Amino acid sequence: VSLRQRLLLLFSLTVAAAVAAVAWTVLVRIRHVFELRDQEETSLFVSQFQREFQHRSAEVAGAVDRLSTSERTRGMAFEIVQSGDASPYLTEAKTLAEDAQLDFLEIVGPDGNVVSSAQWPARFGYPEPAVTRAGEAAFLKREDLPDGSSPLGLFAVRPIRGAEPAVRLIGGKRLDQNFLGDLSVAPGMQLALYSERQSSADANKVPGAAQNSSASFEAMQLVGTNGDVPGGADHYKALIEAAVKTGQQMSGIVYLTARREDSLSATAIPLKNETGRVLAVLIVALSREGMVEAQQQIRAIAYGVASAGTLLAIVCSLWIAARVSRPIELLAHAAEEVASGNWDVRVPERGHDEVSVLARSFNHMTERLASQREQLVQSERVAAWRELARRLAHELKNPLFPLQLTVENLVRARALSTEEFDEVFRESTATLGMEIANLKTIIGRFSDFSKMPKPELERIDAKDVIERVRSLYEGAASREAKIDFEMEIAGQPMPMMADPELLHRALSNLVLNAMDAMPNGGKLTVSARPQGTNIEIRVADTGEGLTQEECERLFTPYYTTKQHGTGLGLAIVQSVVADHGGTIAVESRTGSGATFIITLPRSSA
Amino acid sequence: VYRRFAISCIFALCALPVAARTRPHYGGTLHVEIEGDPWQRPNGIARRLVFDGLTALDASGVAQSALATGWESDNADHRWQFHLRPGVYFHDGSPLTSTAVVQALNLDCPANCPWASVHAVGSTVVFSGDSPMPNLPALLAGDEFLIAHTLTTDGKMPSPNIGTGPFQLTSFNNGVLALAANEICWQGRPFTDAVEIRVHRAVHDQWLDLSIGRADVVEVPVEMVRQAQLQRLTVLVSPPALLLALQVTDSGALASPMLRAAIAASIDRRALANVIFQKQGEATASLLPQSLTGFAFLFPVDRDLNKAHELRGGLNAPSLTLSEDGDGAMRLAAQRIALNLKEAGFNAQEVNAGGAQRTDLMLRTIPLEGGEAGAVLESVSRSVDTAAIAADSSLPSVYKAERNFLDRHTLIPLVDLPRAYATGARVRDLGLDANGIPELASASVEDTP
Repeated sequence: VSLRQRLLLLFSLTVAAAVAAVAWTVLVRIRHVFELRDQEETSLFVSQFQREFQHRSAEVAGAVDRLSTSERTRGMAFEIVQSGDASPYLTEAKTLAEDAQLDFLEIVGPDGNVVSSAQWPARFGYPEPAVTRAGEAAFLKREDLPDGSSPLGLFAVRPIRGAEPAVRLIGGKRLDQNFLGDLSVAPGMQLALYSERQSSADANKVPGAAQNSSASFEAMQLVGTNGDVPGGADHYKALIEAAVKTGQQMSGIVYLTARREDSLSATAIPLKNETGRVLAVLIVALSREGMVEAQQQIRAIAYGVASAGTLLAIVCSLWIAARVSRPIELLAHAAEEVASGNWDVRVPERGHDEVSVLARSFNHMTERLASQREQLVQSERVAAWRELARRLAHELKNPLFPLQLTVENLVRARALSTEEFDEVFRESTATLGMEIANLKTIIGRFSDFSKMPKPELERIDAKDVIERVRSLYEGAASREAKIDFEMEIAGQPMPMMADPELLHRALSNLVLNAMDAMPNGGKLTVSARPQGTNIEIRVADTGEGLTQEECERLFTPYYTTKQHGTGLGLAIVQSVVADHGGTIAVESRTGSGATFIITLPRSSA
Repeated sequence: VYRRFAISCIFALCALPVAARTRPHYGGTLHVEIEGDPWQRPNGIARRLVFDGLTALDASGVAQSALATGWESDNADHRWQFHLRPGVYFHDGSPLTSTAVVQALNLDCPANCPWASVHAVGSTVVFSGDSPMPNLPALLAGDEFLIAHTLTTDGKMPSPNIGTGPFQLTSFNNGVLALAANEICWQGRPFTDAVEIRVHRAVHDQWLDLSIGRADVVEVPVEMVRQAQLQRLTVLVSPPALLLALQVTDSGALASPMLRAAIAASIDRRALANVIFQKQGEATASLLPQSLTGFAFLFPVDRDLNKAHELRGGLNAPSLTLSEDGDGAMRLAAQRIALNLKEAGFNAQEVNAGGAQRTDLMLRTIPLEGGEAGAVLESVSRSVDTAAIAADSSLPSVYKAERNFLDRHTLIPLVDLPRAYATGARVRDLGLDANGIPELASASVEDTP
């Protein structure tokens, strides 16, 4: 992964994380605000509904109040008390209820028995327990009807003014979908009423286990202002059951479908009788569609902004990464060029930041390196010429001195007799010829070094080359120099691509050098073994060894530690090994012999 | 003497206009309004105007001659022969014959008739029965045995509602049934030229029409008699003419007579009579009114809830269905009975019978027709499919027959009810017959100024 990609990834992740954190914070805040608004709105509507409900309760009480003070009812009460005959007023309650727009109305005589009932006219003569609540505010009660039903009603009891003993009126309004429909509620508010299926006798039981055990939700008992409730009654089951069970007002969100906007903020208000028993549950529901849609819009905008921000951040990151990484990439490329030997490469220097300082330093470094290399080359060249001059002088001086003496002898011999001169002449020409031959030999060696051939590679086994060297030198070594020639060759094949003649020549040079290093005998060990992808060949002796300086200069051409060496042997070995793509090194300590290590690439099997 | 004569003359002259005003006046149209169907059986108000029976009951309930001038029985009342009145014609001009009478009677009574067979013999109609028919003359005065013209002439069916009565049907338009005086009526021409009966008119609308003079005779439901009197209407109230009774099935859930007796004991008859029917009726446990027999008090009226529980014996009766053959007070009475039964451990649910479906309990009103005790008993009992016929016309025999009938508890008498009508100021001489039906043929109307 490149630096640019890393930078890009880093920048993008950083920006994306920052945007995500901001977006999450915004969304959480928005949700919180909307939930708060939802709760406030719902509680506002519930309060409004409760005020409306209380208002309707007051209306019922007011209607019964007005009836109880009317001339008509007062005259009726007077007649009932005076005559003791209530039968003429059998249908009076129905007429009064119609006039007062009440759903329920009963006239109860001084004996506590019903005189007239609008909702169940046949109930005359039966006692009505609710008369004991005369004067109280409106209350909830179930009213049994002839058809067996027991609808819920909002009732008030008032004594008819002026009658003694008291004749009372019990009037009420039915709490049903019509009642809900008549309530003035805020736009968007939906009302529903859940009535438990029970008779008035059941309703008057003390709440407790009986209520809890019998509290099974019946969807048919939940009606809205238009009959049905939005989404179906079953969605409200949990809320209603909780309100019935606890007797407390319960609020929650009712999801009508899987879509969040199809949900309602619903509040279940338990309606209880005087014993605390829950007779019905009012559902005040407010659609969350608008709020959810607004929330979703804000969320969509937040997501859009976050996405756009992230995209922009990626683009900016791309630009910044390119701007930051470009000089470094140029530097890296230039460093690779330098590593490959091209010291003339330069990187552009722009600006004054750290990267430009680095580029400037790099350029300065390459300039210095090139300069030092030139100096080194020149120094090496001078040293090589000096060494060459010294070696040439040394090599040529030895044959030249006898040549000079011989020529001087010849000049002095002209004074001798002819016989003596001839003898001297013959000896001198022989010496001259020998020395000239010696000079030719020296010149031929130099010529051979300069004319090292290119290797002709072929697939060989290193064992074969080593075995050939051993067979050539083992006998001479043991016979003439009393040297033990040992071989340590690995068992597995060691294939390689090499020129067998050049490799043989290189190994022979090393073996001869080792034999020369042990004039008093010793042990010469040639070993070969695979080493990873290479083949390692070692030639070790037990001679005097080399100093550190000798080791460092050992492969320099024309450098030798021998009295009559040309200094080209190891240089030729190094040249051959280098031409085969290998390396050569020496390990030695003074007095402990030396070991030459050749590493050559191994061919695949 | 002259002075006395002069004073007498002055008094006589003063009395003349009074006498003139009370004298029946011919002509005019009598406007009647009713809530139901004028042709309904029994006692549709138009039936008695258009049709006659072989006999008719007088004010005391005794059978008098009508289309039959006389009758005699033999073979211990197993055979009766009625002699037709000569010179009687139907409204279409065809003469009244014994064949026409037999045809009409067979159509009137296809089954469960008091007689086994009826046939014409000359100008007489002969009834034969498998059992004695001591009450046949009184029964033939009943509304269900009025004679209509049903004989085909030249293969053509006559128009319906053709009878021999004092009025004949002229039209029925816009809910008004128009009847014209039958000039050749064997009873003589009625005083009024026509009677217009507006049908299916609500009671309150009838009263309103009466108050503004658009109606002369209107109905007054029993439970509203007191209200009508308070409104100072002229109300005609008949003696007990209807029996409010609960017909109880003797099969299914109520096959046990004990359960039926429990139902009879659990009903608060006095509440029905005093409150629902506003004291215009009389609570009774007898089929026959006290005024007719004098022994109705022997049947206990008071409710006995303990006895009802005892008779029920802890049995859980299944849900019972209860229907009524009317609305208003009848429905209220049915609801009250259901409430009473609930206290006694019965669960009676009021249903709308709506036709042929038979309910376990049916609250109905039964006309107390027949005049004499035995005839009324037979008529009432026959209305519930099983006739109770006294061995003779003596009160002990009637009591025994009634007691035997009531012990089956298939018909529980509750309240004897009258019929009531209100009349306008210009109506003269309107009375109610033995069945409580207005005798419109004998009434006259004053000219309105």
